Amino acid sequence: MVRFIIIRLLQALITLIVISMVVFALARASGDPVMLMAPPMATLDDLQAIREYLGLNKSLPEQYWTFLKNSTHGDFGTSIHNRQPVSKVIGERLPNTITLGLSAILLGISVSLFLGVTAAVKYGTWLDSGVKLIAILGQALPSFWLAIVAIAIFSVWLGWLPTSGTGGPDHYVLPVLTLSFFMLPIMTRLIRSSMLEVLDSEYVKLARIKGLSEKIVVWKHALRNAIIPLLTAAGITFGTIVTGAVVIETVFAWPGIGRLMAESVVQRDFPVVQALVLLVAIVVLMVNLLVDIMYAYVDPRIRY
Amino acid sequence: MKEDNFWAKITRFWKKLRRYPVIPIAILFVVVFFAIFANLISPYSPEEIALTERLTPPFFMSGGSTSHFLGTDALGRDVLSRIIFGARVSLSVSLVVIAICSAIGTILGMIAGYLGGGFDNFLMRFTDAALAFPALLIALLLGAVFGPSFYTVVLSLSVLGWAPYARMIRGEIIKLREEDFVAQARIIGSSSARILVKHIFPNIINTLVVLMTMSVGLVILIEASLSFLGVGIPPPTPSWGSMVSDGRNLFARAWWISLFPSLAIGFVVLSGNLLGDWIRDRMDPRLRQL
Repeated sequence: MVRFIIIRLLQALITLIVISMVVFALARASGDPVMLMAPPMATLDDLQAIREYLGLNKSLPEQYWTFLKNSTHGDFGTSIHNRQPVSKVIGERLPNTITLGLSAILLGISVSLFLGVTAAVKYGTWLDSGVKLIAILGQALPSFWLAIVAIAIFSVWLGWLPTSGTGGPDHYVLPVLTLSFFMLPIMTRLIRSSMLEVLDSEYVKLARIKGLSEKIVVWKHALRNAIIPLLTAAGITFGTIVTGAVVIETVFAWPGIGRLMAESVVQRDFPVVQALVLLVAIVVLMVNLLVDIMYAYVDPRIRY
Repeated sequence: MKEDNFWAKITRFWKKLRRYPVIPIAILFVVVFFAIFANLISPYSPEEIALTERLTPPFFMSGGSTSHFLGTDALGRDVLSRIIFGARVSLSVSLVVIAICSAIGTILGMIAGYLGGGFDNFLMRFTDAALAFPALLIALLLGAVFGPSFYTVVLSLSVLGWAPYARMIRGEIIKLREEDFVAQARIIGSSSARILVKHIFPNIINTLVVLMTMSVGLVILIEASLSFLGVGIPPPTPSWGSMVSDGRNLFARAWWISLFPSLAIGFVVLSGNLLGDWIRDRMDPRLRQL
């Protein structure tokens, strides 16, 4: 087990280094940052001075090494747009995204568990078809549009909820609902098919023969084993939440890192984009690592 | 008697028809038709600005007229014409992206699956990383580097898009390379390249077609999201995603600006997914997820 974890950690580290190289290369390909920073009347000497100040006169490997060294200290340079340290800009916004994302994940998992299990238990009935319909429609409709419609109905026409921004708990309702909808279709389908497989197994039959109530059979005996394959999907789910956060935060003017990402791209604020991509890459790699370890731990049949 | 026969014929025909996904195919056909003949069908130029006619509602509402069937947007541009031309963007992006991704993914997957060993290991670690990383994020990163354009969108959707193909094709090849007909081809002295192209490739075409159809919807959705965020196809070229974005602040007053393009996205993606499901069940039932 320890050997397995160490190998996986090393693999994740190598992947991270490759990603950082790609991001660094792209940053250099995006044009001369000196031209963006220098005043229009700057002389060639001025440009050279800025270049030396930024360390751009050194060789590329040297520059990459500095970039790597600074990144590990949490120093990602200065935002071109508002001239603040990138780490500060991100740090201010990160908590908003974490609260939004976690609530959406919790809600999404509970709703899709309920829907998926119900559909599997009532296999072939109209309830099953209904859940399937929701899943199919949910995969097709653009989620940003769903968010717009929700704002129009609940905020503009009915006036029940605020349209955008942060504040009290009522500000959370629409963003969390729409964000959780991002992961709902795929999770529901996975739970349904995994549940159907388990409900067909011998030990579920045994539990029924023993005379256990249907509730205990389904929610305790069957569900526990049905969840194992879902662990592998956790990494992908995290990815959809990141994607969703960019879109949903933009629609609801939510001051999180998703909207920061979208804004920085439009403003071509490369230091911020670069730091955010690295941050997400680290978190994605960590989530996948955790999933792998948990999978090996939960299911003793799997040994690497 | 004669009528009976006629109805019996109709019902029989309908029963036969119901086995095929008629509606999805019809919708996709209409969209392809729109995309090809956009200049001939669309009533107006999609970029023509008419400020006097701005925010005209669709024909079935009071104040609307049949001259602008689905109304106009904040600049007086005809929504219907923009949707028709938007089909061009969505379809051309998805065609090019799927062609690139399936080609790269198939070649890599075939080589990895056939050779096995170190290259296979290396490639699969790479594929894992590509599958785990959110595609939208890479697209945003490239959008920031190269600026929004058709080529940026295609590039950024292709950078990670080959991974599912490589993963799936590799799995198929590993199963196929142990088959007797491959061994026989090797015995009569066929080269590896010949075995891969002539003997193994025909066996993975089904899987490939299924994967390609299933990814049409996904590509269209991501392209729409990118355009919605302002890093997709740059204006004034009409794209469904950017049309939804244009109308989002006017939704309470002029819902038609963003409703109709989102319906277009929804219908096309839904049709693509349903058609993909159908082809999968037909050609490769093993891939079925119940």
